[in-house]
Amino acid sequence: MGNCLSGDVGGGKQAIGGVQQRPTSTTTNNAAHNDAVDFFFRSRGQYPLFSQIELTLSASNLIDRDITSKSDPMAVMYLRKKDGKLEEIGRTEVILNSLDPNWIEKITVSFQFEAVQTLVFHVYDVDTRYHNVPVKTLKLKDQDYLGEATCVLSEIMTKPNRSVTLNLAGNFGAGVTRKLGTLSVQAEETVASKTVVEMNFRCVNLDNKDLFSKSDPFLRISRIVENSIAVPVCRTEVVDNNLNPMWKPVCLTMQQFGSKENPLIIECFDFNTNGNHELIGRTEKSVAELERLCLQKEVANFVYPSTSHGRNKVLKGKLIVDRFVEKVQYSFLDYISSGFELNFMVAVDFTASNGDPQHLSSLHYNDPSGRLNSYQQAIMEVGEVIQFYDSDRRFPAWGFGGRTADGSVSHAFNLNGASYGDEVAGVEGIMTAYASALRNVALAGPTLFTHVVDKAAHIASQSLSQNNPKYFVLLIITDGVLTDMASTIDALVRASDLPLSILIVGVGNADFKQMEFLDADNGRRLESSTGRIATRDIVQFVPMREIHSGQVSVVQAILEELPGQFLSFVRSRNINPVGAPPAT
Amino acid sequence: MSYSSMRRSLEIVLISAEGLKVDRKPVKKKTFGVVRIDQEYKFSELDQQGGSYPVWNQKMEMEMAINGSVRFISVEVKYRTSGGAEKIVGCAKIPVTDFMGGFAPQGHLNFLSYRLRDEHGDKSGIVNVSIMVKPDGTDIKPSSSLAVATQDYAACSSQANGQMWGTRKTSSSMAVTAGYGGRVVTGVPVLTTTRSCLVVRGVLPSPWESGSNPRSA
Repeated sequence: MGNCLSGDVGGGKQAIGGVQQRPTSTTTNNAAHNDAVDFFFRSRGQYPLFSQIELTLSASNLIDRDITSKSDPMAVMYLRKKDGKLEEIGRTEVILNSLDPNWIEKITVSFQFEAVQTLVFHVYDVDTRYHNVPVKTLKLKDQDYLGEATCVLSEIMTKPNRSVTLNLAGNFGAGVTRKLGTLSVQAEETVASKTVVEMNFRCVNLDNKDLFSKSDPFLRISRIVENSIAVPVCRTEVVDNNLNPMWKPVCLTMQQFGSKENPLIIECFDFNTNGNHELIGRTEKSVAELERLCLQKEVANFVYPSTSHGRNKVLKGKLIVDRFVEKVQYSFLDYISSGFELNFMVAVDFTASNGDPQHLSSLHYNDPSGRLNSYQQAIMEVGEVIQFYDSDRRFPAWGFGGRTADGSVSHAFNLNGASYGDEVAGVEGIMTAYASALRNVALAGPTLFTHVVDKAAHIASQSLSQNNPKYFVLLIITDGVLTDMASTIDALVRASDLPLSILIVGVGNADFKQMEFLDADNGRRLESSTGRIATRDIVQFVPMREIHSGQVSVVQAILEELPGQFLSFVRSRNINPVGAPPAT
Repeated sequence: MSYSSMRRSLEIVLISAEGLKVDRKPVKKKTFGVVRIDQEYKFSELDQQGGSYPVWNQKMEMEMAINGSVRFISVEVKYRTSGGAEKIVGCAKIPVTDFMGGFAPQGHLNFLSYRLRDEHGDKSGIVNVSIMVKPDGTDIKPSSSLAVATQDYAACSSQANGQMWGTRKTSSSMAVTAGYGGRVVTGVPVLTTTRSCLVVRGVLPSPWESGSNPRSA
């Protein structure tokens, strides 16, 4: 859903909100329902203390920052963390020339029942020269600021209609008070659903709205939610100068259309560059009715809502559904339960930057009283989660950056000290191997990820050549200061097309800038020194301090991106769960 | 080796490009791509409305010598001016090792992305392609050596999970061509009652390959 803006067309004529699966997509703004975390809790008879919420934003009476036209607004949502810093959660698309935008792109956030989650919304006017740029990569300081609003998520969720309207405020110099307009937020719970419908729409005999040429039509589809509020869910691309337009296939998920009986409003507009898109006609049809239209080769008439008599005018223009296909979009759990295996590998940082294990301050501190050090805590907490999803609970375990018994520094040695066979059994196995390595390996340096990443990539590629339905996850536990940034990036780019994800867990309080860079969550893709670019984002970085300060649970932090990374691999290759009928 | 086995056919899909720029300005013209292998080249169609984010999704079948003479495939992105002239946006060189050898098993559908650079060496966008080296159906090769094959087999049969390979029970005798190079072996025997790791490429596609799926059968 979230990656549709990459196929941009100049002047805001692109489609928004339809489902596209592009293997090279890096946007995670609108990831599908994450079922991995849920399943982890349910299997232990617990209920997760959060649910996933989708927010639809709209605004009215925004101020105008453009001279010759109206503002081009985009909203950015942040979560205020405990230390007061803002963490970006997602962005909407840019709507051209509108002071009353209804954004289509949704923002997903997990609603924690027991925490106070303060949401901060910033609205920006995006400069015209950035209109072709994917929104995630926009630098916000280059954009004009239109105001901000704050609310608590539980405040929205406890409202009967699950929506709030907030006044936008902003700092425009001392003593200046201006009305900045309002921002409305509508919340809905996400549903785990596999159904996707793909439809080809076409219209005939549309009214002409342009003086010197023909109309430039596009369709906007909205769903009616509680209190008959219409939430826009998708928009087609604009077909220029055509009264009998045919659009590219529109793909809607169950999350977008609700249920097959839920009425959808389909509106046809004439695109105008100044933002005043003129309504050509509208019709109200549920997905089930659209299916019937297609099967029985019927047409739907557009009507024009009339204000004077309260009676709608039926138009000549007709909507035709040329193709209707119901597809199944398999979820992460479908793959895992059908026999796709997740295999975890573990690599532990043995570099000197962690501090002498004899000293209390060391992250590798060898406590005589048996208290767990930072690494052991991380292994225990993270291990419990990965063990749940690992099929055989046997982990290849390595250390890097340590001086082994033979006196040389190794950047990928077997944690258990064995010269042949790097596998250990379960979390206990990792703990035992770690303890023995701490006794036998001297901390050294430099910190190189390249060797362990290559080793993991080699295992993944071996498995691939044997046709095994397996997906690999390399867990790197590190204090985060990397010496070989450039060659690590090269290794990650090389590995980005393999069934492999890399989960970096940061311990201690070092500067994790490099790790965040590798995580590439800002929409920029990693680029190797030779000019090859990562096919997809395979890295996720989790700082342990955020888990220990209670900002996120360990399960959520670890499984945040993995299902999406897994799905991006299998879906781009049309791989289905074992034994399942094909998706298309 | 015969001449034919010294060449492999590639299935290249020129998927799309991102952030195309000429003189640091986003491209607004219609763009197309050219894929070159040695002397041979193929064009994509013009992208009509993508501007600086064109989508071609154009499949091209091309042949490549595998005797080491070809080390790069080149991809050029060009645009057509209103006068009909063709000008270059940028070029990328794809090392053959990125989709053959290295981490890429034969028959794997490689999704690859590269930085485009213009004549001055400046960054001018990103190009996305997929490349699959078509399995050579004429000769069957073991997965590098028999020792490895038996080891794989042992690893596989130890897997308790029975349903995973369920649909493959029907195949009576299979062999594998997973590796690159090696001697020709015919009829590696495989038990029908247990799981088999050994599969003839080209007869049964890998689950990691695109398009056809063995489980749909």
